[in-house]
Amino acid sequence: MLRLNPLVLLSFGFASLAGSFFVRDLTTAVVAAGAYAVAGVLFLPTWRYPLACLALCGISAGLIGFSAWRLGNGDHAPVAALRILVLAWPGAVVVGFVDPSRLGDHVAQRLHAPGRPVAAFVASLQRVSGLATAWQQLARARRVRGEGPTRNPVVAARYVGSMTFAMLADALRGASRMSVAMDARGFATTTHRTWAEPALWARADTVGLALAVALGAVAPVTLLLT
Amino acid sequence: MSGGVRVEGLTWRPLGRRAPVVVGLDLHLQPGERVLLAGPSGAGKSTLLHALVGALGTTLAGELGGTVEVDGRVGLVPQQPGDAVVAERIGRDVAFGPENARLGREETWRRVDAALAAVGLPYGRDHLTSALSGGEQQRLALAGVLALEPDVVLLDEPTSMLGPEHARAVREAVGRTVGRGRSTLVVVEHHLEPWLDLVDRVVVLGPDGAVVADTTPDAFAREHRERLGELGVWMPGLPAPEPVAVDPALLRPAHPLPPLSAVDLTVRLRSRSLRGSTETTALAGVDATVQPGHLTALTGPSGAGKSTLLAALGGLVAPDGGTVRGVEPPLARRRSRDLAGVVGWSPQVPEHGFLAATVADEVRLTAMRLGRPTDADAWLALVGLEHLAGAHPYRLSGGEQRRLSVLTAVAHRPGLLLLDEPTVGQDRRTWAAVAGIARAAAAAGVVAVTATHDPLLVACADHSVALERRAVA
Repeated sequence: MLRLNPLVLLSFGFASLAGSFFVRDLTTAVVAAGAYAVAGVLFLPTWRYPLACLALCGISAGLIGFSAWRLGNGDHAPVAALRILVLAWPGAVVVGFVDPSRLGDHVAQRLHAPGRPVAAFVASLQRVSGLATAWQQLARARRVRGEGPTRNPVVAARYVGSMTFAMLADALRGASRMSVAMDARGFATTTHRTWAEPALWARADTVGLALAVALGAVAPVTLLLT
Repeated sequence: MSGGVRVEGLTWRPLGRRAPVVVGLDLHLQPGERVLLAGPSGAGKSTLLHALVGALGTTLAGELGGTVEVDGRVGLVPQQPGDAVVAERIGRDVAFGPENARLGREETWRRVDAALAAVGLPYGRDHLTSALSGGEQQRLALAGVLALEPDVVLLDEPTSMLGPEHARAVREAVGRTVGRGRSTLVVVEHHLEPWLDLVDRVVVLGPDGAVVADTTPDAFAREHRERLGELGVWMPGLPAPEPVAVDPALLRPAHPLPPLSAVDLTVRLRSRSLRGSTETTALAGVDATVQPGHLTALTGPSGAGKSTLLAALGGLVAPDGGTVRGVEPPLARRRSRDLAGVVGWSPQVPEHGFLAATVADEVRLTAMRLGRPTDADAWLALVGLEHLAGAHPYRLSGGEQRRLSVLTAVAHRPGLLLLDEPTVGQDRRTWAAVAGIARAAAAAGVVAVTATHDPLLVACADHSVALERRAVA
């Protein structure tokens, strides 16, 4: 899973997105969602992360199901909820396994996307992993300055607001400083660039792509057969 | 020939500042010339480097006047080295420049390995960039620029977070790259002496961002010592500045603390993603005691765990093993307000600690939260920031931000004062103010601790704790 081509990883997400359009009845919904769950159990190296994604997608799925029920479409509610799961869950899981640099290599060299935007995109993805460190530092500073969260909900809400704003400010300021640093490493003048790593396609990638397509096809096939 | 630089009438007023920080600056550099750029804190040194990379008025907002022309490829090591990180792993990060220069794979990786070795980063290509300390990031940023082999090399305080050994390695690496007259070099530094052998010209900016001296290294050291020393420039041959006398009453702790002891303290820092994790042992079984009434300096090479020990003493990092003894309940378990009552912390990246919209409010904030009186104007005057009281903390220069950060740690009179690299980016005069505050805190009975690479600050300390370089994972 970790060694799969990042484009193949993303294809799981796109295939599930396409497949979700065919989730129209409860049988299809259960079979499609079940197929992804089985594939997850078989192939994913960890269970915590996919479950966390499931919980987050579950919130939106629950909300969609709830509104379908409120709108008087009670029978359709579980189908609507499961469709959202099929649509969002696989993509959310595979994105976590994508290495930004390798994704850049493949998007630029295999899909022949223009180098500059790809490099900028990869650098910005890399910033995401720095967010945890920034959050930790900002939280530390607030705590030691008496501005940390308390059990009082008003204070807690204000704290979340202040942290969110600080993260936003930090991200924006960091982005402009990073853009200066990138331009000052030859990025400003480059139009075509080379890539330090090749974008190789292994047999496992073909198998992975076939699996992604097969999983995506579960919903339309089930719909046809039932 | 590439590498020439022409700056004429450069004027720059950043967005949110009333007065320009640089006015009518002229500077011409010949290809291959090596220049040391000096001047007091806030003189506009970093601004000039930003002008040379073409960032003023484009990426950085403000009002720009004059012309700037640079021939050839430019490489900059920024003041905050974390800003230069573009990849998850250090090999790919250094490869960014060669990729932009359209080099082949073989040549790219040859340069990457050579650059990592030149700056003395001992990790493999696959080490995660998020697992590097401040000083290691600084060396990574330099490696990224060296691998590009630019025509103009710009270094903004490239050794500010490094100990003497790594600083020497960095200077040697710079010397090897630019020494053969291939690259033009502009280096901004406060501690000039070690660089004088490497450069053939010294340019000094005054407080208003104009050139006040432009001379050879020899003449610079001989003729300008007294005059520029007065301006705050760290002139070679001058005795160390005396820390400013600060009234200890300003710092007398509201709640004095007993001695604190780190016992067999182990802290592991994890940098984790689904694709792999890097665990670095920042502290392994460290014992240290810090006393009230003493200034303790935590020393050691970059990556030795100085910042981590500082944070652990203040209860900001929960240790993986061992304890910090001395106070009950332990600081790590205290609620925010109780912690603020006894601890003041100035972080390594000052911006992470700022919470207010103006400099003056920033100084008052914690004291007001605790209901303790404080005189923000007096504090600001002490460190030479009174003219910026109404400015936004983000709009200050690097050195100015660091002084403000020190004030935010002391103004509420904590019993434990933790200063992470407080003298980085300071000139002689502002150094004396910062060192004076640290000394006065100790005199007032505060447990004062600083993580520092600055030998002059270590000399001011009552004792020091030397941390060893951690084992490479």
